[in-house]
Amino acid sequence: MFFLACSFLAFAQERTITGKISEETNKSSIAGATITVKGGRKTVTADANGAFTISAPAGNVTLIISSIGFATKEVSVSADSRTVDILLGVDNKQLGEVVVTALGITRQSKTLVYATQSIATNQLNEVRSTDNFLGSLSGKVANVQINQGSGGLGSGAKIVLRGNKSIQGSNNALIVVDGVPTLNPTFSTAGNDFGSLQSSDGASDINPDDIESMTVLRGASAAALYGSQAGNGVLVISTKKGKKGRFEVTTNSGIGFERAWAMPDFQNTYGQGNGGVLADSSQQGASWGPKMTGQSYTDYLYNKNTLTQQKDNVKDFFRTGLTVNNSVGVSGGTDKMQTYFSYTNNYAKGIIRSNDLNRHTFDFRIANQLSSKLSSDVKINYSTVIINGRPRTGEENSQVFDAYEMPRSLKTADALKYQAPNTFDVMAPTNWPATNNSIYQNPYWMLNNTSISSVRTRINGFVSLKYQILPWLSARGSANLDKINDQYEEKYQQGTLLWNTNSGGSFMVTTPAWTQKWFDFIVEGNNQLARDLKLTYHVGAIRQDVLYDVKTAGSNGLFVANKFSLNYASNPSTTQDGSEIITNAGFAQANLSWKDAVFIDASYRRDWNSTLPSPYHYSYPSVGASVLISELVKELPLALSFLKVSANYAHVGNGGAFGITNAAYNYVQGAGNGGIARSTTLNIPGLKPEIVKSWELGLEAHFLQDRVGFTATWYKSNAINELLNLNLPVATGYATQYINAGNIENHGWEFVINASPVKTKDFSWDVAINLSLNRNKIIKLSPELKETDLGGGDNRSALPTIKEGGAYGDLYAFQWIKNTKGQYEVNANGTPYTTYSSGDPIGFIGNFNPKELVGMTNTFQYKRFNLRFLIDGKLGGILVSGTEMNLAFSGITKGTEKFREGGWNLGGVDVGGNAVSATTNAQAFWQTASGQRYGVGEFFAYSASNIRLRELSLGYDIPLGKITALKSLRFSAVARNLFWIYRGSSILSIPGIGKRKMWMDPDMSNGNGNFQGTEYGAMPSTRTLGFNLKASF
Amino acid sequence: MMKMQYKNKLFSLRWTAVMSASLALLGLSCTKSFPDTNTNKNTISTIGPSTLPFLFSHAEDLATVNAGNYQVAQNLFADQYAQYFACEATYFPSDRLVIRQDWVGANFNPYYSGVLPALQTVFSSTDSLSAEHALGEIIWVLAFHKATDYWGPIPYFSAGKITTSVPYDPQAAIYDDFFKRLTAVDAILKTHAGANAFGAYDLIYAGDVNKWIKFNNTLRLRLAMRISKVDPTRAKTEAEAAVAAGVMTTSASDDGFIIRSAVNGDNNGLSIMSDWNEFRMSATMASVLKGYQDPRTAQFFVPTAASKDPTPGKFANYSGLRNGLTVDQLGLGPNLAAANSHQGPRWSSTGVTVGGVVVGLANYTSTPQNVIETAEAYFLRAEGVMLGWNMGGQTAQQYYELGITNSLQQWGITDATAIANYISSTNVPVAPGDYLNSPPVSTVPIKWSSDPAVQMQQIMTQKWLGLYPDGLEAWADWRRNHTMKLYPVANSDNPLITNTATQWIRRIPFLDSEKQNNAAGVTTGVTALGGADNILTPLWWDKN
Repeated sequence: MFFLACSFLAFAQERTITGKISEETNKSSIAGATITVKGGRKTVTADANGAFTISAPAGNVTLIISSIGFATKEVSVSADSRTVDILLGVDNKQLGEVVVTALGITRQSKTLVYATQSIATNQLNEVRSTDNFLGSLSGKVANVQINQGSGGLGSGAKIVLRGNKSIQGSNNALIVVDGVPTLNPTFSTAGNDFGSLQSSDGASDINPDDIESMTVLRGASAAALYGSQAGNGVLVISTKKGKKGRFEVTTNSGIGFERAWAMPDFQNTYGQGNGGVLADSSQQGASWGPKMTGQSYTDYLYNKNTLTQQKDNVKDFFRTGLTVNNSVGVSGGTDKMQTYFSYTNNYAKGIIRSNDLNRHTFDFRIANQLSSKLSSDVKINYSTVIINGRPRTGEENSQVFDAYEMPRSLKTADALKYQAPNTFDVMAPTNWPATNNSIYQNPYWMLNNTSISSVRTRINGFVSLKYQILPWLSARGSANLDKINDQYEEKYQQGTLLWNTNSGGSFMVTTPAWTQKWFDFIVEGNNQLARDLKLTYHVGAIRQDVLYDVKTAGSNGLFVANKFSLNYASNPSTTQDGSEIITNAGFAQANLSWKDAVFIDASYRRDWNSTLPSPYHYSYPSVGASVLISELVKELPLALSFLKVSANYAHVGNGGAFGITNAAYNYVQGAGNGGIARSTTLNIPGLKPEIVKSWELGLEAHFLQDRVGFTATWYKSNAINELLNLNLPVATGYATQYINAGNIENHGWEFVINASPVKTKDFSWDVAINLSLNRNKIIKLSPELKETDLGGGDNRSALPTIKEGGAYGDLYAFQWIKNTKGQYEVNANGTPYTTYSSGDPIGFIGNFNPKELVGMTNTFQYKRFNLRFLIDGKLGGILVSGTEMNLAFSGITKGTEKFREGGWNLGGVDVGGNAVSATTNAQAFWQTASGQRYGVGEFFAYSASNIRLRELSLGYDIPLGKITALKSLRFSAVARNLFWIYRGSSILSIPGIGKRKMWMDPDMSNGNGNFQGTEYGAMPSTRTLGFNLKASF
Repeated sequence: MMKMQYKNKLFSLRWTAVMSASLALLGLSCTKSFPDTNTNKNTISTIGPSTLPFLFSHAEDLATVNAGNYQVAQNLFADQYAQYFACEATYFPSDRLVIRQDWVGANFNPYYSGVLPALQTVFSSTDSLSAEHALGEIIWVLAFHKATDYWGPIPYFSAGKITTSVPYDPQAAIYDDFFKRLTAVDAILKTHAGANAFGAYDLIYAGDVNKWIKFNNTLRLRLAMRISKVDPTRAKTEAEAAVAAGVMTTSASDDGFIIRSAVNGDNNGLSIMSDWNEFRMSATMASVLKGYQDPRTAQFFVPTAASKDPTPGKFANYSGLRNGLTVDQLGLGPNLAAANSHQGPRWSSTGVTVGGVVVGLANYTSTPQNVIETAEAYFLRAEGVMLGWNMGGQTAQQYYELGITNSLQQWGITDATAIANYISSTNVPVAPGDYLNSPPVSTVPIKWSSDPAVQMQQIMTQKWLGLYPDGLEAWADWRRNHTMKLYPVANSDNPLITNTATQWIRRIPFLDSEKQNNAAGVTTGVTALGGADNILTPLWWDKN
């Protein structure tokens, strides 16, 4: 009876089944799946972690699980089962990618009203970019342009989405990690082509091994909730966390070797000398001497020597770099608590012999279900980075530039005799054949007797709490801290040109520090308003406080020679600077969906920004809609399996810059008690926020059961009210004043194609193509300001100039004068007549931005082998090589080899249009084209178009056989920057020589600021070959 | 079911409203700290009595051409046009008379954006009869005469007002104002004789008002002489008044040097130029110094590196090159850096060696920088006597010889016999032995001539030596007087100058930056200039 009763009760009662839905390959949870009991009418939806609870009748039942993007699955649950874990396989028919959007909100990509693109994590941590992880995005996302600052390992990079918008502010995309913008400051970068220290940025600390997913939000609409800087687009990164019920250890180990690649083309025919003459004991470094035939002479060290080709003297200066990456991640959890812990070590030796990097990253994350309604998520990330021997970038006395300047006949063994003790037994530079003995020094002196090192300590993390108020309503709040402490030490031994003027050497310690505190509180809800109408909304508040402080202490002059400690400072000088910006914001966002086919998004944000004058606030909205035509219209052609159109519009505001509403006087250390100087920039009491307005239209279509997918996006953005530094007549007592003005427009197209041309059991071929084009126009600056520049005021090679009617990135330089008939004008001696010598202003020679960006990734899978290669192309745009300009003056480059003996008629005319019969020679020609450190940029401008094999990876999933401890083991051989498929040529075709092929890599910039378009002493880029082993236990 | 949804909807709307309202309040209440947050703790917002003297220091620093401006304000232009130095670097066209407009603004912009606001605050914050106010006036004139002597008309009477265009004023009116200011200063300072103004904040005389009185009158005498051709009457009046009021008489106690600290880039600008190694002794200097066997040579320059003989004063070891050599010529042996003389030890680092011997000095970056020295006062008085002015009762020869004596003393040559020997020397300039085989630059001896025409050349030649290395004053002086001989520039790359024997650079054309930012102002400048805005139009006081 008792048993009967029990069984009766059991039969009569409905039971509860709980479960968890995960993706079948990477076991990540799937949010929002629908679960139905077969034959019943009960339907529930899985939560953000894939968890669900459903009541079902007793006995064996079948659950039907469906989720957009995944194959619908039926799972039978036996009568005695209460829990079930369900794995869903991706259904290519649906493309139901789930993406993390602004503020960590997870959404299905098909519901989005704007364009996003995600990058698979294995494309981030397998073939690595040594200097900065951002480098590995190139070519993988439409309309993203990466430029690597030339500061060696760990140096800052520039990432621009959909074109440059800001003249004085940053154009870098915002990088958001786990819902919060991460600090991404660059303390020092080149603002001109003379040179500087290129420091690290914040992005270089991001550990790709900890990345769970990465999504790029290119448009402002997607990012409107982030306010400041979101106008430049956002990289949304989610880091790994522990998973319920699964214990897993993953390791990733890689080793890579890199060689200098894309170095100047050197001539190897003529040696040291001038006018074809080899001068004995000469300290002159030019390579205009005689042909190198082994002749004897007295060298610059007053030794007997022979004049022979030294093809590798520059190559010898560099070494094969080494990178070793080791990472271990441990993840596990129960229903109540999930933990992720990882440790990663990156060790690298750069191609500059003194340059090395050692980074330790610890990541710890723990999520707790504290009660049935309250959950927490806590993360701490700690990293230390030590970088030694950071090379300076630019034309100044820097290692790389000094190496390039070596005479073509100089033997490496001689160059290594760079120092000798003086009478006090302090090392002094030995004689050196410099092309300019006031600036360029023996590169081995610079390598061994100067150093820039840095130590970074960074800690960031958060505490986040979420409370499920009602099944459809939750509130979450988080407190985040991100703190970077850097210490740079610069040491220049006595005798170092430019950097040490006072006796004893020069020493400088700089300690920039950034602290970001971020607090947010968000209420999230969703309601079924009607049968086919769903509303999801977020209302919240954010407080962001970014504090910056930098102190320098140093001395040009040390009482005890080369004793690099502040204790020995003979001319101590100290400075301090800093800023703080607080932004308080309130926002609301709503998404309305009808029949899972029509989606409307709207958001509104109001900021109170401490940089603005009272009442400090401004507001901006975004609105968008998308329609899944394929859901609404059932009569689509068979080939068309998915069709979506979308449109959106957004405003994004940016508060301006710190402290510019106030008048300021600056203290200047110096004689007496020092001085106080009024700021030469007039303050702007009525500062207004900068606004980016953007429009976007999108079309997404899939064909042939989703074997082919196609996305097209058109966008336009206008940056208005830009904060500009307007020149004032200096007689007012101010050199410049801030104004809000301008209208910079970017518009363009983006196309993304994904296809699977072959898909069989053993073999598949997938191809992904990104194609984008961006056009920029400076519609307006201001009534008073028609022209400004992006830095580089000394105009050594070319000047990036912003002019009304022009485009962002227009380069101006001195030019070879052409008459109205298009004939080149020459001087009476047969050399080019240029605007440099005529006194004419610099003229437009091109724009540094590529017009089109193309990336194509092909992935082949054959049984256990996987081959992936990325072809990356940038079409259009120019780059001016100050390096070549300077080297050509000294007869070092390949281009200077011809016509050494004269007889070179350029076929030009004089100013009267009459042909000039005079002939010139290579030395006279190139010394006219280049004044050495300053010159006629047009001669050294190249079309920067290039297509290259950017990445290659060949992987093999090792069969594990009976090794049960291992879940997977994958070995891969990887390579970066393998070879050029195409590269541009010089824009001028010089009569008798023609066009010269571009030798440098345009991805390598002197700096990662807005000053771009010229390369002057930048590091060569590198080619990497490596191996990778990933294992999971 | 429907009811439930309706409730949810209401609930959500309410929530939204409550949230929005509380957020708005949050935003408002959290802005209290914003003015403080937005203030840079490392800067000063307001100037008071305790910070005022720092402004004066800053004005002095900029008015005397600090290290940051020295190269582009003075070295690449005036120093070369005065032929103190010739350019050794191939990439600077200014020695071949091409003006890089983006550089030369350093002799204009800092006076307006730096000196002017500092002094305006000094003027508005001090009693107009105070010594501090008067010292400010001197620095004002010192700065703006450097500017007007490059360009001619400059923004002056309307400077310092925030507007989109600042008119230029004629040089005559500007000079008139200079005299008025300096005249007033003399009267005020005399009421403060023996006092100290600004103390250690005064980087030239440490606040010694008595010395400033002499400085002020010497500056007035300098400016009076500048207008001696265009307005002889005013020149005579001002000059005689200046001398009567008391000019500098004794080196070294009267000499005006600004003391640099070597801290934070506060260096002697010429020392930094020396490190950059981009220029050398000019052939003109070589011709004069070697010809005169001038004892100052070893102070002015060091023996050539190629000579490998560090012994100072061995004249054969000094060499100079002509101004305006072409890039090709600069690459040739006799024109190379090692073959020509680097500037003197006090501006040279210990890295400058000859024959392995260090010839530079450890503290070379803090070498005091010339502002105005006693020798100049005597040469001005010698010239004044030649013009028939009452310069204190002595003869032109006496002032000439006092000028030489004080200059030699200023450079540390104090031995009376050596000075006497030099003054009585009949030495004349020699052929410098340069690459172009130049003849001696002139035939003017040191020993006072009986020929008035030669006497004038003697005064100007010695004054040119006495002003070294202040190329700004020397170039202005040479343009004004045009008596002393300089070599024609070897090559002109400037199309306006086709014959360097008969044409020379007379001014700097108005700045491109001014044409962009102050176009209407520049138009008034061209009118005031009364000629084409180019390098050939003489300034108001240039009547050659």
